[in-house]
Amino acid sequence: MKTAAVNKKVRSRRSLSRNDRFTLGAFVGLPTLLQVVFLWFPTLITVVLSFTYWNGINVGDIKWAGFANYKNIFLGSPVFYDALKNNVVWLLWFTFIATPLGILLAYQFDRKIKGHQIYETIFYMPVVLSLAIIGIIWNFMLQPGGFVQGVMGRDIGNAVSIWGNYSINSYVIMAVASWRHIGYIMLLYLAGLKAFDSSLREASAIDGATEWQTFRKIIFPTMRPVNVIILVITIIDSLRAFDLVYIIYGTSTAWPLLNILAFQNFAGQGISMKGAAYSVIALVLCVVPILVYLRNVFKEDLQ
Amino acid sequence: MSEVNNGISRRSVLKGAAIGGAGLVAGGSLLAGCGKKQVTGDVHFTIRGNLSDAGAKIAIAANDAYTKKTGNKVISQAVNSDDFQNNFVQIMQGTPDDAFGWMAGWRTNARADAGLLADVSEQVKALGSSLSAAAIQGATNPSDGKQYIIPTTYYPWGLHYRKSTMQELGLNPESIATWDDLIKLCEATQKKGLVGYALGDKGGWEAMGTFDILNMRLNGYQFHIDLLNGKEKWTDAKVVEVFNHMGQLIPFMNKNVLDISWDGMRDLLLQKKCGAMMMGSWFANDFLAKSQADYDDLWIVPFPEINPEHGIDSIDAPLDGISVAANGKNPEGGADLAGFLGSKEGIDAAVAAGDTSIYISSDFDTSSYDAFNKQKLAVLGAAKNIGFFLDRDTRGDFAGPVVGPAIQSFLKNPKDLTKILESTQAQWDALPAL
Repeated sequence: MKTAAVNKKVRSRRSLSRNDRFTLGAFVGLPTLLQVVFLWFPTLITVVLSFTYWNGINVGDIKWAGFANYKNIFLGSPVFYDALKNNVVWLLWFTFIATPLGILLAYQFDRKIKGHQIYETIFYMPVVLSLAIIGIIWNFMLQPGGFVQGVMGRDIGNAVSIWGNYSINSYVIMAVASWRHIGYIMLLYLAGLKAFDSSLREASAIDGATEWQTFRKIIFPTMRPVNVIILVITIIDSLRAFDLVYIIYGTSTAWPLLNILAFQNFAGQGISMKGAAYSVIALVLCVVPILVYLRNVFKEDLQ
Repeated sequence: MSEVNNGISRRSVLKGAAIGGAGLVAGGSLLAGCGKKQVTGDVHFTIRGNLSDAGAKIAIAANDAYTKKTGNKVISQAVNSDDFQNNFVQIMQGTPDDAFGWMAGWRTNARADAGLLADVSEQVKALGSSLSAAAIQGATNPSDGKQYIIPTTYYPWGLHYRKSTMQELGLNPESIATWDDLIKLCEATQKKGLVGYALGDKGGWEAMGTFDILNMRLNGYQFHIDLLNGKEKWTDAKVVEVFNHMGQLIPFMNKNVLDISWDGMRDLLLQKKCGAMMMGSWFANDFLAKSQADYDDLWIVPFPEINPEHGIDSIDAPLDGISVAANGKNPEGGADLAGFLGSKEGIDAAVAAGDTSIYISSDFDTSSYDAFNKQKLAVLGAAKNIGFFLDRDTRGDFAGPVVGPAIQSFLKNPKDLTKILESTQAQWDALPAL
């Protein structure tokens, strides 16, 4: 039976018409070409440039710098470690607080609690906004002279310090970013749950499993493909964070992130290619854990 | 002009008339321009700021005057000032507008060396003796001796306050002469429930104004410039002293220094929430746009003396002007417009539209200045050394990425000073040679 299917497959592959081959080639080739030209090529160039000194203007001025930019970042730029800390805080917050909350919400709404459509809409609403827009909205609300300050009766002279108060600003930024992230995760998980075989849940209920046992032992493992996607999204979103903070703080690095530092050093100022080096560090942090993780996942799946 | 219809093109007549008019003041230098071919074509101009700002309306009025004079259309677009600065190199390498308001100093010279800005020496020469030697010197790129910016305006950094507020408090900032006087003034203001020394440093550059003046007052202009060019060390006890003085001002500052930017400082003063603040006078346009009464209430005095050796002999007075993109569609037109904006006619049009800037050009009649502008001139006149502001007096990859965060860290945790200064020096040492 199996051999027959394989044979059939081989035959059908051979019998692809010229037209089919062209279509397939276009479907695979065009996106690949675009990826290579607009993603891989600039990435490669950035990696190469991170080992140079250049002001970004005349190609002839590029000077080889070896590891100088990296040495400068790791040994001479305390702001790098602040940025790294903020990125890690972001990652931890998203992984252990925002993402579980999104899953919890999805789980509740999937049980069709009363008014779940209204709740879903409420939580989904911020997802249609980009993080840049969310930054603008919350900056208008919380900055001195902003709406929330006005409601509290604070004028610009005695406004409550939020963005500039280092004992709370990280939490406020996390909360604002989560505002969108929770809805996003909820949506993904909800879509997964809709496809969940309800007979499994019934079976576990008949076996006397509690709600928590059902979720932990039955639903969560079954949702594995969705879990993988959510984890990857959470890691990438945390490490590529930029726009929200850029809107609030500009390039002043008052609350630095790796990508803010990359941009600040690129932004018309640089003589070194420190900006490129920051980008490469962010890229490595972003891509390596994900590649390792995905490799393991696929290996397990194959077994 | 409509009656002129004798075969000569309208444009050349207009130009001739203009030359006749301008010739009265600029004299022979315009003869050089006569031999040149006529500059025509649309000119694209970037306004740095929002269209709703007072400055944008002034720029548009001046550009309209150019169109009226030459018949060349000026297409203006407003671009957020920070975005324009941050993306300057990229914008200039693409298809930039022909001319734009810009800043003299490192930001002009480094970009000119990279071939991004067009040489406007000819236009500067055409403005002739209307520009002082010092102004031309300030606009000159030291590496080739040419000008890449037509200097138009400058403004002093000083202590700004509202006369009415100080009167109500029974204080007179004009009488403060020493550091102790300033501290007493801040104390008295704070006692009445106002912010004693308003500061916002969210943008990371605003507090550089305070740093600059403290350094110039304590250690003198030469030390300041040497420090910014790596000839002195940030770990020097003299620099520690500067930060110690800044630290003495912290108790009088608003409690949200890192939450507000320069516009927050402006609003503090506008809403009568603070006593004095160290700021560049350019924001006065916004006071005038608010109301004449608000503008008339605004005043500036020089930062008081701290070290008798240096008195009040130095000031930050950034030089602004018009630059022309080398890669624009019509660099010739851009240069022509830039030259116009620096000339008497351009200045007159801007002033008529409500510009409160101090123009460098001696063609501009300072006797018509209002009281505030005369005071600005007096503040400038008190100084013999002029700095351009920290982010124009040192290299760009040091000012924004290193000094900005260093001052912010200090305002956050003054106790970390030693660590901050060591790190600042280490980061200077790690910069690649230009």
